[in-house]
Amino acid sequence: MGELRTVTQAVLRKDAWAKVTGQAKYASDVAVADMLHMKLLFAGRPHAYIRSIDTMAANNAAGVAAIFTADDVPVNRRGLITPDQQVFCDKKVRFVGDQVCAVVADTREQAAAAAELVKVVYEDQPVLDDPLKAMVEGAALVHNDKPGNLCHTVRLRRGDADAALAQADLVVEREYFTPMQEHAYLEPEAGLGYIDEQGRVAVRTSGQCTHDDLRQIAKALDIPKDAVRVIYGAIGGAFGGREDISVQIALALAAWKLRRAVKITWSREESIVGHGKRHAIIARHKWGARRDGTLLAAKVEVISDAGAYNYTSGDVLTNFLYSAIGAYEIPNVSVDGYAVHTNNVPGGAFRGFGSPQATFAAELQVEHIAEELGLDSITIRLRNCVRDGAILATQSEIPAGVSLRELIEACAREIGASRQQGNGWEMPTVEANEPHKRRGIGIAAAMKNTGFGWGFPEGSEARVALHGGAEIDWAEVHTAAPDVGQGAHSVLAQIAAEVLNIPLDRVRMVTSDTADIGDSGPASASRLTMFAGNAVKQAAEQALHQWSLEERPAVGGGRWNAPATTKPDPETGACVNSISYAYGTQAVEVEVDLETGEIEILNVVAAHDAGRAINPQQVIGQLQGGMIQAQGWALSENMVSEGGYVKTDRLSTYLIPTTLDVTPNIKCVFVHQSDPVGPFGARGVGEIGVVPLAPAIVSAVHDAVGVWFDRIPLNPERVIAGLRDACN
Amino acid sequence: MNAISVDLMVNGQQYCVETAAHKTLLYLLRDDLGLTGAKDGCSEGECGACTIMLDGQPVNACLVLAGQAIGREVLTIEGLAGDDQLHPVQRHFVEAGAVQCGFCGPGLIMLSVALLECAPEPTESEIRQALGGNLCRCTGYAKIVEAVQLAAEEMNRG
Repeated sequence: MGELRTVTQAVLRKDAWAKVTGQAKYASDVAVADMLHMKLLFAGRPHAYIRSIDTMAANNAAGVAAIFTADDVPVNRRGLITPDQQVFCDKKVRFVGDQVCAVVADTREQAAAAAELVKVVYEDQPVLDDPLKAMVEGAALVHNDKPGNLCHTVRLRRGDADAALAQADLVVEREYFTPMQEHAYLEPEAGLGYIDEQGRVAVRTSGQCTHDDLRQIAKALDIPKDAVRVIYGAIGGAFGGREDISVQIALALAAWKLRRAVKITWSREESIVGHGKRHAIIARHKWGARRDGTLLAAKVEVISDAGAYNYTSGDVLTNFLYSAIGAYEIPNVSVDGYAVHTNNVPGGAFRGFGSPQATFAAELQVEHIAEELGLDSITIRLRNCVRDGAILATQSEIPAGVSLRELIEACAREIGASRQQGNGWEMPTVEANEPHKRRGIGIAAAMKNTGFGWGFPEGSEARVALHGGAEIDWAEVHTAAPDVGQGAHSVLAQIAAEVLNIPLDRVRMVTSDTADIGDSGPASASRLTMFAGNAVKQAAEQALHQWSLEERPAVGGGRWNAPATTKPDPETGACVNSISYAYGTQAVEVEVDLETGEIEILNVVAAHDAGRAINPQQVIGQLQGGMIQAQGWALSENMVSEGGYVKTDRLSTYLIPTTLDVTPNIKCVFVHQSDPVGPFGARGVGEIGVVPLAPAIVSAVHDAVGVWFDRIPLNPERVIAGLRDACN
Repeated sequence: MNAISVDLMVNGQQYCVETAAHKTLLYLLRDDLGLTGAKDGCSEGECGACTIMLDGQPVNACLVLAGQAIGREVLTIEGLAGDDQLHPVQRHFVEAGAVQCGFCGPGLIMLSVALLECAPEPTESEIRQALGGNLCRCTGYAKIVEAVQLAAEEMNRG
């Protein structure tokens, strides 16, 4: 590989100009003349049979063009993985955000007013708001075909965990709880459905995979895929919350039936109730270690709140098969996982896809083991962390290029820890300036897979066209990879410019339109730089070859197929689960106010491996943004759901971090271990930033006040209660 | 529907808009004038994505009724710089990497411009105080604060 020109440079994002001038069109900004407006009627109750739906009064209301119910949907099923949800419910509603009908009218106000006139007679059923209660024999069923309310189970056996625990010098057994998390992307769900110039039903919206949306629309409308078109414009954040359907099918149905443009924009309350959440997880861990800190065995039980429908619950749970033991090599592992249906808002994809919850418990287990053995936790991490040649819990060898050991050391040094003679590490002692405050430092390490893995046949499509005569005047890069804000389109343009050896401003991106390009796969699993990046690289190389054959324009492209992974064995979980991982270690210094229970983050060190970063500025942006989401999850974001009703459905009650909650002292440290699969050696970094911070904060709080917390968020009430319990 | 007539100046241009009396200024701008730069993230003044300037003061346009803007001057992100121009705050948002999804950008930029007009040399802490009411879910704010600092430096150089 020669010297790189564009890749590795902090080039300016291609979309930034339009965004800072207000010219960028997000889904809610799109309007056409004579469009109609839609209101989706939510169930508004968590569990009930529908006895009747009377739309007559609503139909007669001013301005109403149509009302669509279950009767109007040709194949009334939806679901990204499992078609277990009705597009419009007519038999049963299973959570407050289930959709019952769509009211379409001349104005937004008319649609909303008419929706209130729809008379639905419900027969309420017992509400399951707790997965532990939902698992009990005799509990009411959310789905009649899911006995025990079991949505999905997973099982892994490596070695003999029970035997190894019996022989361990130390056994630590604890239970952890991590809560639901709301994505709170700033742009609520919105979209415009219309009939395009070729007669296709088109939906212009914000999502995470145009082709997954298209597939579900075509299926529900029972029309061929080529009669459907999905287009994304500027997308106001996603973080996993846009993987499942929100408004897409309803918009397509209305436009298809009415042959008119129909628009919807959800309110913040509808957004919070209407899309899936990070799964709440109960994790029971029993780990065994030798006196010297060597981890011998881990026995883990994971219970996740799947909520009302599967969404991605099964897949998130499957990810615990490797991540439940954190970033460690442990020879004896047993994992049993249960995703349990309740009448809560469905659990779904959220940045990290189970890894933040898994890492929370695993990293705190390491801390407890260190404390009980009288060792420092950095030593235990270094002794047991994955390295090249390590065998994962899934009994496959970790892909080459593991940098975690270097990251742990770099992070520890940067936060002020020092290696002692005798090989241990000592954390610095930090003291508060006020008598009612205490300071402490904590650290945590993590890994996160890139790409889905687990046997899913993965790839990405791209096409590159080169225009010009003797020289390449400009190149067109076609991809369906969604730029949800992470900067994917700019990274792909950089990769094309590098391969083609042309300036970046001669690369034109044509993006996210199913009428233009095949499936590039979703913006999820930190995968676009690696998967869509390799597809663009391959397409650019093919186009260059055609160029050399004097083709004008010279076109290359097709599907890039990722190296294969395999499905987990149902009994042992054995498989090749992933082709690549991102690694990171984060340390944090906190100050705890003993009187108010408030926790202030003073310093953060984030040591990460981006491989060869395509755009270092954007990598830092991903890490900083991920860390602040993790800070919110750990401290202030308290998703309250009572009896299936969401009590925190506004940004005034669900508190995401502001500039005043975030420390200016965040230092990023990099180790660059090229990924063998990534284009130019790049790694996926979209998720790893969100993974280790929460357990690092809990450890730092323990360092400050001597109290271990096993659940988050550490809001002032919980901290004060914990301090009080410790005194008694 | 009770209609009202709203005379106001937006981005230097005079408008007379017949609109519903209950409409907010945000939706007068977005629906009636097609100026979609100001965003609706919460409709209750929590997120600040709709921040515009009303008679030179930053306000959440979702909390102002259209009728309250009669006879007043509005500046939105679209009118902040001339065609094909960027205000220094906009340019530094681009250059510092302060834009990810960008949905919060127009509001944060308008708020930052308002800050720099009354406090040309803000400290980092003053910037964080001033922007504390506007939410961003992507960036973690570091690059946003940096962009405002760089813009202040440039504007003070003249």
